[in-house]
Amino acid sequence: MITRFLTHVHLTFNPFSPRSKSARVFLSLFPSNARANGTQIQSKMLPRTSKEPASLAIKFKDGKEMKLDLDKMRITEVVEEVDRHSRTLARKEELLGN
Amino acid sequence: MPPRIRLRPRAMRVLNSPSQPSLQYTYASLATATTPAAPVDQTIRSIPPILRYPPTQPPSHKPPEVRKTQLHRQYQSLLRSSPLMLIFQHNNIKAVQWMGIRRELSAALAKVDAERSAAGQETFAEEIKFQVIQTGIFASALRVVEFFHPEESTLDHVPHPTDPATPTSAKIPNTKNTPEDVRFTHGLSRRAHEAASNKKLKVELEPLLSGPLAVLTFPSVSPQHLKAALSILAPSLDFPAPKRKVIPSYHEPEVQGGLQNLMLLGARIEGKVFDQEGTRWVGGIAGGIDGLRAQLVHVLQGAGASLAGALEGASRSLYFAIEGRRMDMEEKEKGGKVE
Repeated sequence: MITRFLTHVHLTFNPFSPRSKSARVFLSLFPSNARANGTQIQSKMLPRTSKEPASLAIKFKDGKEMKLDLDKMRITEVVEEVDRHSRTLARKEELLGN
Repeated sequence: MPPRIRLRPRAMRVLNSPSQPSLQYTYASLATATTPAAPVDQTIRSIPPILRYPPTQPPSHKPPEVRKTQLHRQYQSLLRSSPLMLIFQHNNIKAVQWMGIRRELSAALAKVDAERSAAGQETFAEEIKFQVIQTGIFASALRVVEFFHPEESTLDHVPHPTDPATPTSAKIPNTKNTPEDVRFTHGLSRRAHEAASNKKLKVELEPLLSGPLAVLTFPSVSPQHLKAALSILAPSLDFPAPKRKVIPSYHEPEVQGGLQNLMLLGARIEGKVFDQEGTRWVGGIAGGIDGLRAQLVHVLQGAGASLAGALEGASRSLYFAIEGRRMDMEEKEKGGKVE
């Protein structure tokens, strides 16, 4: 996953729900220095009894915001959605920078 | 007695052959003798049992030499021996960060231990381990621990040493050296595997067991140690992290960077599953098990006093009623006489 264009990541999930698996795997895809490189990652864990679906809110470097409902998505689909915009940003950066 | 006739005359004897000394004297009467029958003892008793595998390595369902199997066995023993277990998710924590986290954790636990030893309580900070686990194998081991409860041991089939039918007093299980034997009771046996692979049974902890996991295991339920561990690994309002002035090494970027990538998911305490709040609640029990005992004693004492009062009250009122009745009757008797 391309993580260098993400500035804000806000995750909400209930670890005891089997559907929140993709949320937890999403967190594990960040490199260990992601926070040091300027990505703010906040994860909020819901209590065990809550029925609230797992959700993800992302802000990109160009200001685009993205909200995903992780309950119904597999991790590959989540990564695909996030990477789609990251790739356009990467291309722009490449064209401008070099 | 029949006459002893020499079968061979001296001339036919094999001359000077030291290799066959048995041929020197051979008698016809001995030539017809048969080998003796097996002793009666042997026909009515079984041969002594033989252990057909090393006692510490009973045959296992999966090949025992691979790492997976040994990890499975190790996790089973970990689950059985630690009543209190915290489950964390670790997201790409580096080795240096792990080192820092473990160092801070052991320092905090040692401090708790020092307090406990001063109070004369048992100490076990060294046995509290923080380890990364293989999630799939751990989940499988958890299923074996939860669902495989053999009632009998392999030694149940062994005859008692004092039983006259056994020629030996050693207790040796009569199990075969194949994993198919259903009498095996160890966690790696085929029977354990079959019990654990029942898809209808669900473990409460199952949704937690995915992704990269690490467990912190305690050999005993001690809220004091739990509190110290929580304040280091998952600080919150109730369990604040140590201040920078008190422990400067805790606020090093390596430790903090590692802790940011560490998430407390839940806990397994004496077989029950708790979420984050439940874990904090257990950590917040003041005084640990002794504190709880004191509270219970206090409650029971209050109940005892009121119970004694209630019982006494009933008997007292009965006494008063009977006494009143007696007085009443005496008065009537007197009154009758007067009339």
